[in-house]
Amino acid sequence: MRAKIYPSQVVGFAEQNSALVALVIVCLLGALFVSNFASGMNLSAILFQYAIIGFLGLGQLLVILTGGIDLSQGAQVAMISIITAVLMRQAGVLPAVLGSLLVGTVFGLTNGLLVSRTRMPAFVVTLGTMGVARGLAQVISDSKPIAIEVGSFVDFGRSTLAGIPVSAILWVVVSLGLWFFLAQRRTGRHIYAVGGSEESARLSGIAVKNVKLLVFGLSGLLSAVGGIIWTARLSSGSPLGGNGYEMESIAAVIVGGGYMLGGIGTVSGTVVGVLLFGVINSILNLVGISPYWQGTIKGILILAAVALSQFRRIDHGSQARRS
Amino acid sequence: MQNILQRYRSTSFDTQSVLKILMILVGLVLLASAFSQGVFLQPKNLVNLIYQNALLIVIALGQMLVIITGGIDLSVGSMLAISSVLVVLFQDYGLPASIAIALIASVAFGLVNGFLVTYVRLPAFVVTLATMQIISSIAKVLSGGGAIYTGLHGAEIPVGLGEFYKNTLAGIPYPLFVCLIVIGLAALYLRSSIGHYTFSIGGNERAAYLSGIPTRLVKMAVYVISAALCCLGGVLFVARVGMGDPQTGTWIPLDSIAAVSIGGASLSGGTGTILGTLIGVVILSVLNNIMNLLGVPPTLQPAIKGIVILLAVYLNSARKQN
Repeated sequence: MRAKIYPSQVVGFAEQNSALVALVIVCLLGALFVSNFASGMNLSAILFQYAIIGFLGLGQLLVILTGGIDLSQGAQVAMISIITAVLMRQAGVLPAVLGSLLVGTVFGLTNGLLVSRTRMPAFVVTLGTMGVARGLAQVISDSKPIAIEVGSFVDFGRSTLAGIPVSAILWVVVSLGLWFFLAQRRTGRHIYAVGGSEESARLSGIAVKNVKLLVFGLSGLLSAVGGIIWTARLSSGSPLGGNGYEMESIAAVIVGGGYMLGGIGTVSGTVVGVLLFGVINSILNLVGISPYWQGTIKGILILAAVALSQFRRIDHGSQARRS
Repeated sequence: MQNILQRYRSTSFDTQSVLKILMILVGLVLLASAFSQGVFLQPKNLVNLIYQNALLIVIALGQMLVIITGGIDLSVGSMLAISSVLVVLFQDYGLPASIAIALIASVAFGLVNGFLVTYVRLPAFVVTLATMQIISSIAKVLSGGGAIYTGLHGAEIPVGLGEFYKNTLAGIPYPLFVCLIVIGLAALYLRSSIGHYTFSIGGNERAAYLSGIPTRLVKMAVYVISAALCCLGGVLFVARVGMGDPQTGTWIPLDSIAAVSIGGASLSGGTGTILGTLIGVVILSVLNNIMNLLGVPPTLQPAIKGIVILLAVYLNSARKQN
């Protein structure tokens, strides 16, 4: 029997993957009407910039899937960049990278402990630790950027493989790993279960508290990866870096079909969401739209995407796609 | 019935919770007076505290109403900024007209927030995150990006506005009167039937809807009130610093949410007290003040502030667990 593709299936696919459809349309429009958009240099510039948001977005996805939120990501990028720079001067590249990953994980686990073991809402916890991370970054660096002169590390920030930034390749690999983890591993399914209904998850024997600890720990680790790449790209540690990155990562998750109250969201959607923001950002800059207007355009985009996913949810009721 | 009674108690006065945060406040004040050799408790310093925080009080009360319904308003800072810009920009038509324009604009933004949250049923966090960006970007377009000091056709900000902010009546600064009026109105609002509806929506929206409460209108109302209070905050801002600034207020959403949380309100809605919120604002401002008096480097201040917010919220949440 031959598989037939019905028009309704196409419409259904487009509805389910509105962010992907939007990305394709925006890319086509960009390639057709915006000069330089489709050039290799521009595309790799987008990837260089947004691979960092991409790592944060993956962490944010995990946290949002459990119904939480991580507002400390942007501040963590700043803290990690300072720690990387300081360790780089004192001890070299490898200790700096490993140390930063460790600090990021510990920081994320602290968030997780506070959220899972006390009854404080994630919003407030990460709001507080956001201040702590930003403060630490400024104290350690004395509020001054720290330059990095280690050639191999700086080169890593600019390196490409077949024209594609290495950081973006790394992002894709981690995304694939995370997709496998979420879709195929038991713990991954537990993350969805906790976000769907915490009480049901607890009653069916899932260690809800540990799941929450895990997602915040992973968000810290992924933010650290983003912070290290950011530092390499800038070839300096900056205490003011990463400002507002948490908002971009949240927006990417939501635009990619994630649900703020947890339980719904996919890695592929988040990746598409990040790319969509990168592409739109690039087009706005290439067309020469005043940076002042860009906030309006991005804001309307977020609202449109969320409204669309909301109508989809009402239409399909409980059939909302999970993974 | 018992539920209603409990809810009423939690709305009017939650002794235990208020005592706990009061203890934090007293501790902070003692620390401050001890370390600053008495400078802290001098009237001049206390008056300064009010100057610096009048607009946070006004905006935090609006934020509290939104949080009671289980929502959140991240756009308060950008509404403050655009109000300050509009008030200065339309100075040529006189102060009342410019304030009216700012108020109309803010209320319109509040209506958009409320409409998207209640009728389109989008999560408040995402809606106000997006409108925050939109409003802030419009404010920058209107002002050309930077701070503005004169109107479209060069009209200056009237001297009277600045004097109003500095002058006192019977030793009490005018901004404090503004705060007192807003606090009084908020208290009346929460005690009216629409105020009780606000709490019941936060407690259980479906139940509130089924018992005939016009949930959509009540939820619209809190976003509009929050927006109107942001406009008042914008006017106070112009009076204090004599300019309209599209970049101002970035700290306002988080500070106002922190103040409401420290004051014992739950972010999932249904609880919140005016007194708690006021104490929350005072704790945040006393903390800022102490850190400046003690010469804590500004770089370290966000870290300490973050820890104090966590501590205060933890003490409140530990109580609810029992």
